[in-house]
Amino acid sequence: MRRTVLSAMALASTAVLASTVPAFADGASPTPTARRSATAAPAPATTAPTRAPSATPAPTTASSEPSAVPTRAPASRQVSVVPSGAPNTGVVPVSKQSGAGGGLIGGGAAAVFVVGGAAVFVVRRRRATGA
Amino acid sequence: MTLPSRRAFATAAMAALLVGCGGHGADRATTAHRRSTPPPSPSPDKAVHALGRSVPVTLRIPAIGVDTPVIQLGLASDGSVQVPPIAAHDRAGWYRHSPTPGRIGPSVILGHVTVGTYGDGVFRHLARLRRGDRIVVRLENGTTAEFAVTSVRTVAKAEFPADAVYGDVDRPELRLITCGGSRTGDGYLDNVIVFAALSSATP
Repeated sequence: MRRTVLSAMALASTAVLASTVPAFADGASPTPTARRSATAAPAPATTAPTRAPSATPAPTTASSEPSAVPTRAPASRQVSVVPSGAPNTGVVPVSKQSGAGGGLIGGGAAAVFVVGGAAVFVVRRRRATGA
Repeated sequence: MTLPSRRAFATAAMAALLVGCGGHGADRATTAHRRSTPPPSPSPDKAVHALGRSVPVTLRIPAIGVDTPVIQLGLASDGSVQVPPIAAHDRAGWYRHSPTPGRIGPSVILGHVTVGTYGDGVFRHLARLRRGDRIVVRLENGTTAEFAVTSVRTVAKAEFPADAVYGDVDRPELRLITCGGSRTGDGYLDNVIVFAALSSATP
């Protein structure tokens, strides 16, 4: 009888701990962690550093033509300057503090083991005292 | 160790195991990869006249509840396209080296799918668009250009189709770009690209 009660207590305490751990994992952001704001300010980049269309070799590296308006590309493509690479249009939401989350989950598991061990100890002690 | 003690210990161990699995599962549940890619196909409507040059000021996509101001974007220092600032109410951005919407050519508008701690971005549900959905762009001169989605593609960033996105076309078209697919440490592996063609314009 007592064994059953003690087993049930151990189970209940583990269930309580189990329900708290996902809550930690969800909101594990102690600080706002301003993630690299990929672009500080979008506006004044009118210099167009790389003139992408590569059809014309453009041999003059020191071509300091002052009259070259950036939007009017030499090769009249509809997109006058083709960007390099793929756009980075997504900063992942906060759920990725995997270090902190992992720590909390590990801590929760350890706590569960401690409770389980305590339950075992109590059961053994009760039995030793002649229950 | 006696039998009931063993039982209690085994129960606790099993619970701990389940806790660990549950934590990781919750983390992954949000990264369901949907690769909704109807094959790109030419749109039938071609007889709409191209518009004059005027920069876009607002963008509406009724099918996914987007109604946002449009800012202008240029190039980042590394030669990639700028993206809108990370903010609570982020906006879409028009790439200023592409044609204005309604001009002949691919007009490019970008927006975030998520904005870090701020949650969902303006293009959070872009991948839900389907062929024929309406995209309405209001220009600075008061003209409204209406586009119809022709295809939605999800492509790996490593294989970004620059020619399909930025290459010349023979009619007014629109590209909406955001991120999608699986997440890595702080970003996404794929891009979601919506291709659309001008369907009507009202002054």
